[in-house]
Amino acid sequence: MTMHRTFLIARQEFIKYVTRRGFLISILMFPLWIVVVAVVPQLTSGNDSPRILTVVDQTGGSYREAIRNAIGRDNESRNLAAIAHYSGGFIDLSKLAPVTAQMLAHPDTQASRRAFENMGGLDAVRAQIAAHMKPNAPGFTEPMPRYIYAEPPPGLARNPNPKNIGAALRTEGPSEIDAVVVVPPGFGPGAPEAAFWSNAPRGGLKEFVDNALSDALRLAAIRAVAPNVSDNVMLTDGADLESHSPAHADGSSNAFDQGVPIALAVILFVVSVMNSSVLLQGVVEEKSTRMIEVLLSCATPREITTGKLVGVIAVAITTLLIWGLVLLAMMLLASHETVTLAMSSLRAIATLDTVPLLLLFFLCGLLIYGSLFLAIGSMANSLADAQSLLGPSMLILMLPNLMIAGVMANPNGPLATGLSWVPIYTPFFMMLRIASHPPAWQLWGTATLAIVTTILMIIWTGRVFANNVLTTERPPALGQLIGRLLRRK
Amino acid sequence: MSDTIVELSHVTKRFGDFTAVRDLSFALTRGSILGFLGPNGAGKTTTLRMMLGILPPDEGTIRVLGKSIGEVRERIGYLPEERGLYKRMRADAAIAYLATLKGMNRADALVKARKLLDGFGLGEFQRVRIEGLSKGMAQKVQLLSAVVHDPEFVILDEPFSGLDPVNQTELEAFIRNLAAEGKTILFSTHTMQHAERLCDRLVILAKGSKRFEGTLDEARGLLPRRARLAAETDLSFLTSVPGVERVTAPGAGSPYWTIDLREGDDGRALLAACFDRKVPLTHFDVAPPSLFDVFVSLVGQAHAEEAVAA
Repeated sequence: MTMHRTFLIARQEFIKYVTRRGFLISILMFPLWIVVVAVVPQLTSGNDSPRILTVVDQTGGSYREAIRNAIGRDNESRNLAAIAHYSGGFIDLSKLAPVTAQMLAHPDTQASRRAFENMGGLDAVRAQIAAHMKPNAPGFTEPMPRYIYAEPPPGLARNPNPKNIGAALRTEGPSEIDAVVVVPPGFGPGAPEAAFWSNAPRGGLKEFVDNALSDALRLAAIRAVAPNVSDNVMLTDGADLESHSPAHADGSSNAFDQGVPIALAVILFVVSVMNSSVLLQGVVEEKSTRMIEVLLSCATPREITTGKLVGVIAVAITTLLIWGLVLLAMMLLASHETVTLAMSSLRAIATLDTVPLLLLFFLCGLLIYGSLFLAIGSMANSLADAQSLLGPSMLILMLPNLMIAGVMANPNGPLATGLSWVPIYTPFFMMLRIASHPPAWQLWGTATLAIVTTILMIIWTGRVFANNVLTTERPPALGQLIGRLLRRK
Repeated sequence: MSDTIVELSHVTKRFGDFTAVRDLSFALTRGSILGFLGPNGAGKTTTLRMMLGILPPDEGTIRVLGKSIGEVRERIGYLPEERGLYKRMRADAAIAYLATLKGMNRADALVKARKLLDGFGLGEFQRVRIEGLSKGMAQKVQLLSAVVHDPEFVILDEPFSGLDPVNQTELEAFIRNLAAEGKTILFSTHTMQHAERLCDRLVILAKGSKRFEGTLDEARGLLPRRARLAAETDLSFLTSVPGVERVTAPGAGSPYWTIDLREGDDGRALLAACFDRKVPLTHFDVAPPSLFDVFVSLVGQAHAEEAVAA
């Protein structure tokens, strides 16, 4: 095999693909995709109208108060989160009182929520930070509450039967009620159940009410043995349990540690399928225009297939570089904190030990998928032919995506380990698992398996390509296909 | 330096149960033009693909320029029957790309490509994409791609296919020039006129087997000569003249009687018989058979043999 010819074919493939309109569209689609996946839900959730709730408490009113208090606490938490986020971007925290700075740096802790309440809530904190705002800082926008309590209409309060509840519930318009909670007389453990009525429960409203009532019952149980316990016990607060990892021993955040490997594996899949599809189309086009015959008169099938695969790798790497820069730019536009978090997780995963393996798995995955698509392309005479062969292949290739949740639930468990040893899935699952520090024998074993699989796939593709690329007959039936795939000459 | 450029020895190629080429042997000497003739499905393209190393023979050997094909790929030029170029490439880049695959460096290849395009009257189209060229222009670009790297051996598969008469004449001149430069040309065709005008030697293939190899004169010698006579009287009496194989009356609109002569007969007895009977002839000529006749005869024979075997 002449490396020079392989390089020339690779360069031609690279130029051919990156100058296509489709490549530009795929580059532009990525930021759009990020916007759709990440930003739009945030924007739309921010604009979501509050859910309006009413409670008919037939026990005397203590549960209605419990729900109202829970709504108040929820609003305060949201206010704290919003002012903390705003401060992260536009306030110099070092100039604030230490308690305030600590509270705004870690708004999710119970201590911060108590401090926020003690300081007097949102208005008091806004007054404190006003003097330390950076120049040209935009105004703070108070978050909209998720839930609003409304008193029940008199008819409903008197008689909460289904007819009155139905009349009270929202049918259309912003001022109607989303949900009605009826707490019956004697409500409690082993007693009549409370009822939650709603036409279309949204935004976790039922779970919110459920938690509020559970907290009220627990508080009642505590008061039965300790009558003087304060209302400020704040049973809704959980324990502050901060997650740590040896990879973040420097104190950096591990918020994205789970997301980054998933992103890497999904990007591997997307980039592989996207570029391999282009490769497939290219081969079909070369077959239909008979360009392939001209190429075969200049180079061997092995040189052509290798050149094409190298070209695809170059396109994939270019795509990733551009996407990476776009992502970085978008994160910088969003907030510096996001960039710091993402980079911290990426650094934790991409250590000196893992980077070579990550690259190896990525390249192997790309070559395995590319080889498969190249073989399919060489057997098809038209894109319609290719589609008929591609359908079943895609079902097989898509499988890892459906297993992400199962694997990430226990990245070193039996399912994840077993799937990692399925040759065509090895790169995908090992990229998912690499941050979870699988045993060394698995790392090196799967790396060897990936290399061997890749080499065998390239040899097999060269054989399939040589056997089929000049044929103009219809795609083979399954039996013929297996025969062709295994034929030596 | 050996004069034999290509040598096929007992080459056979099968696709499953179908034998596309059977025990084919022939050789080609430096600077010659070989016409590779045969009807559709005769095995011409398969043979050419084997000579280019695109397909491996199942049996036999092929030596090109004294070596195996893998060693001399860069010294061969190839124009395939079905033309193929990257449609989105510029004309000069398309030629240069294939030249680089044949061993030229890119800068030289581009210069040469532009020079060739200029020479073929396509100078103003050198930066136009292939998809923007007419069919004839694209064919020229394809032809130039086959010779840009100055190959010693050029294979042209149906080079005249799809060309108008002016371009066909231009291509004939181009092929003659290549031969005059010492290049060896092999072209396949089923258009006999081109082969008659260009070839030093012929190989005729039918049903995958060689039916003939030799010069044009040798091919014509395979069939007896034929006389054409015109007269206003019935000439069917000529069937009794010695040396006459068959007498064919004039067809509609034609004044000519066609007389097939037996092998070795020169037609003098025919002329003498007409004088003896005082037939007023307005035309008389005796000519060797055309390549077309030889081709039809050989190919028809192959079909007949196949029918008998079946």
